[in-house]
Amino acid sequence: MDNIVFSIGITALAGALAAVAGAAENVESDIGSQGDPNSQVQLAPQMGYIHRIYNKAIAGEPPAWGLWIALGAGIAWAFMAMQINPILAIVLGAGLATFVQGVYSTTAYLGRTASLSKFGQPVYIDIIKSMTTVTMAHAFVAIFATVTLCHLMNAALGHPFPLPLLGLVWGIALGAAGSATGNPYYGKERQYQTQNFGAGVPISASGNIVRYAEAGERNSLDNGYFTSKLGGAAAGVCFGLIVFLELWRTVLFEKVGAGWGAIIVGVIIILVFTVIDRYIEVWARKNYGPYTKPTEETAS
Amino acid sequence: MSALGGAKPAGGATGIAPVPAVISLVIFVIIFALMYMVGTPLAMTALIGIVIGGLLIGFGVHFVPVGGAPAAMGQAPGIATGVAMLAAGGGLAGLFGGAWAASQGTLVAVVTGAIGGGLMLAITCFFVNFVYIYGMGIPAASGKVKKDPITGDSQVEYKSQGTEGHGLPFVSFTGGVIGGLLGGAGGTLIYLMLLDVYQASLPGIMKATAVQIQPIAVSLAGMFAIGIFLVIAVLAAYNITGTIEGPHDPKFKRFPRALIACAVASALCGVMAILLVMV
Repeated sequence: MDNIVFSIGITALAGALAAVAGAAENVESDIGSQGDPNSQVQLAPQMGYIHRIYNKAIAGEPPAWGLWIALGAGIAWAFMAMQINPILAIVLGAGLATFVQGVYSTTAYLGRTASLSKFGQPVYIDIIKSMTTVTMAHAFVAIFATVTLCHLMNAALGHPFPLPLLGLVWGIALGAAGSATGNPYYGKERQYQTQNFGAGVPISASGNIVRYAEAGERNSLDNGYFTSKLGGAAAGVCFGLIVFLELWRTVLFEKVGAGWGAIIVGVIIILVFTVIDRYIEVWARKNYGPYTKPTEETAS
Repeated sequence: MSALGGAKPAGGATGIAPVPAVISLVIFVIIFALMYMVGTPLAMTALIGIVIGGLLIGFGVHFVPVGGAPAAMGQAPGIATGVAMLAAGGGLAGLFGGAWAASQGTLVAVVTGAIGGGLMLAITCFFVNFVYIYGMGIPAASGKVKKDPITGDSQVEYKSQGTEGHGLPFVSFTGGVIGGLLGGAGGTLIYLMLLDVYQASLPGIMKATAVQIQPIAVSLAGMFAIGIFLVIAVLAAYNITGTIEGPHDPKFKRFPRALIACAVASALCGVMAILLVMV
């Protein structure tokens, strides 16, 4: 009984860490312009819109986060093998991985922006100074939280994978969940804030991103402030639920029915999310309504 | 080289080019012949399992609705990230669960892996729609079909002006879950097959007990399973060329040629992973 209570406690802690990691990952991605929406940041100067938005799509978010978290986990693992306290080892691992993220960010910004010089886009040194450190700070939080939850899975819950491998698996999953959830909010809702609310961005508007703020030119810190209110939180809850429910169903129901208990619970959870998804899909269709009259559309 | 004759759907060429297909078949046969000559029956079984796992992953990637950069601007339906990486995110989360259940038998572990992948993508797909609907006020609409094949909901009038659709209609959500299920099952199967081979071979090679080699066997099998998973996912993503809405997308019909490529690639990767401890 004590063992189950301990495991549930670890599961809850891992879920909470995952929620923090998901939110930090998404805000890092939005301030650094890491994901798919960066296509517009790269495109804007080519369409004549010079801007002061950070531009660093190093790779897709999942492989980038897979690298950083596997790196942080690997270094932490090596320090732990040297009998260093796990907490200190994870802090050191996350710190060193964060420096790698900072190097990648700087070179990505310089390289990407320099490639736009023929379109008149300047390289802003003050942007590098002020934004890179902020993305590094968010990256540290995300890496530390994810490496810690991987350590909990390995050391406390007994998962057979070594720490670096868990780091790679959950780093890729973190990037996948964070980018899937957070990218539309940054890409559509923030970059194209001047476009109509409640509609996608017309393809003809591509590249015309919002470049001015209430006072002066908009920068990526403004974007981080805006997206952290919904995109970041949603990404955090998404990744937190993935980790929590995956661990919860295993920890509690693994022994039931020789492993089939966890499977049945997993199927039930999938069905619950399917029903909720269908509900909000129908809710949106009823409350927002169609953009055009059905008869006109079918006639055309 | 595309297949001759017949109207081409919007998804582009779906035919199987005969020359590459024959070359693939020859490579496939050579790999199995090599394994038959130098490998044990266990290694042969493992290679077959790895190929089945590769086929499951390759087929599963085609189900995952991915919209890439246009989806991030609400210009196209799907999830706003890369095909291979999203499939890998779901599949590897499944592999995590499957590896945990490895001691409970192959069937239970593979199904556990499948459910893990499906769960990850179900939650992710739900949050995609959550952000579109409650964050951006945009209902889901497909750009490829007039009606959702599962629910029968009309799609055309719910597309906003100047876009190809947005969000995840129910058929895309279902496709995401199926993709996660197949990816998780395939990744776990590859891991289990390699684990069996390493557990049988490493004690002799390293002159150690089965308990002593267990961490090395698990790590090696995990690394190769993740590596093979990424190879297959990227290969299938090339076949999709960018974005796909799910099983109702015309591009989905391209999957047979991806299966040929995935079978050969998984056999090639598998034989290297197995021969590491055989030769």
